[in-house]
Amino acid sequence: MNEHVLKQDAKHGCLLVATGLHKSFVSGERRLEVLRGVDLAVAAGESVSIRGESGSGKSTLLNLLSGLDAPDAGEIRWEGVPAITPAARGRLIGLVFQSFYLVPELDALENVLLAARLLGKIGSPERARAVELLRRVGLAERAGHVPAKLSGGERQRVAIARALMNSPKLILADEPTGNLDEGSGDSVINLLLALCAEEGAALVLVTHNPTHAARCARPLFLREGGFHAA
Amino acid sequence: MSWPLYLALKQLFPTGRRFPFFTAISMLGVALGVALLVVSISVMGGFGREIRKMIVNTQGEVQVRSSGLINAPALVQAAVNKVQGVAASTPFAEGVAMIEHQRKPAFPAIQGVDLDHVDGVVPLRKYIIAGQFDDLDDDRVILSSQLAMTIGARLGSTIEVYSPLLLEKLKNDEVLLPRELTVCGIFEIGHQQLDSSVVIVTLRTMQELYGLGHAVHGINVKLMDGADPDEVAKKINRALPVDGVAKTWMDANQEFLFVLQLEKNMIFFLLLFIIVVAAFSVASSLLIAVVRKTREIGLLGALGATPGQVAACFCYQGIIIGVAGTAAGLALGFTVVHFRNDLVGGFTKLTGSAEALERFYQFSNLPAYLSGKDLLLIVVSALFVSTLAGLLPAWRAAKLKPVEALRSE
Repeated sequence: MNEHVLKQDAKHGCLLVATGLHKSFVSGERRLEVLRGVDLAVAAGESVSIRGESGSGKSTLLNLLSGLDAPDAGEIRWEGVPAITPAARGRLIGLVFQSFYLVPELDALENVLLAARLLGKIGSPERARAVELLRRVGLAERAGHVPAKLSGGERQRVAIARALMNSPKLILADEPTGNLDEGSGDSVINLLLALCAEEGAALVLVTHNPTHAARCARPLFLREGGFHAA
Repeated sequence: MSWPLYLALKQLFPTGRRFPFFTAISMLGVALGVALLVVSISVMGGFGREIRKMIVNTQGEVQVRSSGLINAPALVQAAVNKVQGVAASTPFAEGVAMIEHQRKPAFPAIQGVDLDHVDGVVPLRKYIIAGQFDDLDDDRVILSSQLAMTIGARLGSTIEVYSPLLLEKLKNDEVLLPRELTVCGIFEIGHQQLDSSVVIVTLRTMQELYGLGHAVHGINVKLMDGADPDEVAKKINRALPVDGVAKTWMDANQEFLFVLQLEKNMIFFLLLFIIVVAAFSVASSLLIAVVRKTREIGLLGALGATPGQVAACFCYQGIIIGVAGTAAGLALGFTVVHFRNDLVGGFTKLTGSAEALERFYQFSNLPAYLSGKDLLLIVVSALFVSTLAGLLPAWRAAKLKPVEALRSE
């Protein structure tokens, strides 16, 4: 499997290559091995979906891929580099969460701009891009509204715009439709796939929904700590 | 603007919210502490300044004394007057005496002033509340207001003065005859001690009462505007005969001024605790904010923020509350100081205590003075304590790991 992944890396010029990832958590006196040697390579512009039962390690894997958490064993390379700094993560990876995580004190436009602010970029081009992204997610009219005045679907659209703000090469989305009704969920997935395609960003989508998973080019299923055929 | 500062401002003054309640309450705590400090230190400073002014007005800015008597005051005075920075000087003699009026005795301090020179140095005439200073001669006396009231003397009353010299005469079996002086004036300086036990006579009368001949006890010196008392005192000392010593009013009243300063420092120290308590409330509110915003803090880390930047965001909130609270406190404090007499007047009218206030504190108008140094100390202390209040929450926020923070419920 490792050789396969590395070959794929070489062939496609992969953005992200994870090999032999292990991760376990201590629960009381037991140690739960959530990931047992997971390999994954994500090429530029491709879309990958990861399905699995609750507790199968989908979110844990996404945390490792984003560099927010470290594996117990195994290696991750981001554009060939085996470590990622917070600033590099902000540039390379856009994150979308199930619970949106918008800053309640900021309006929609300010929330989108926050991703650029954190990298020290806040000028006219960034403002123009944030306005444009809000237009593309259909919220141009609601740019001045704080999250409390937006619906769940609208909040997730703002979160998607924020994830794309720094033109990342990779979007990691952790159950982005988990808190939405079916209609809003479908609409958000359509938007996410369309925008990633337009921006040329690769997408790793963690979801429970088989229909949404099937929309991605490479659907994967995580079970018993490893990938299996979907 | 850096993003931690931007986010700190946004968290304190959120978009779309007209009245940021948490921010207002936190700032109010700091503001009240600062306002109280400004008012208290201003009033203490005002009292201090009034007392200093009173000391200078009654003693001059520099006083020349000798270990014994100054036997040739004219020579010493001439030497003092030649020193650069000296505007005028006047000799004086002082001591204690027993006075009696209608069988009511008192033991006040007695001051002999040189009528030819006293006006240029000590503006005694401005404290006269009855009679005329110009009426003072070798057979007359000016009494302090409360002393006059105690012995029941009025303008035109005759008082008998017994000096220590009379005791010497008594030892030699000589006849004991007190000096009779007529009251020609009553003065009030505004200081309890001086107003209750001081008698002013001419220098000649005092020299006779004490058997000084032409000698005096000291020379009061007034300086030119802007002259440094310490510098001038040093110059006078160089020009004086060996046993003469010039001391500034500050050196001469060192212990009294020390007590004044100590009282002011204690008030500052005690009232600073109001700001410290306010700072604890700010720290507590910010700590709650850190817990409430755990997932947002995780998000910032996920978007590329370093722990230092997350800490700075909360630290800035403490500083902003401190700066705004201090500014509001200064505005409130100076407003109260500006209207202090109206407020005191209103309060005393309400409680019917106006007379008691004047009787015990000798003022009807509250003095106020805040030096630049005191103002700076208040501002720096308030900002320092508020900044400290932001540090603990900042440390807590910086310690959060993004992945754990995002997972928190």
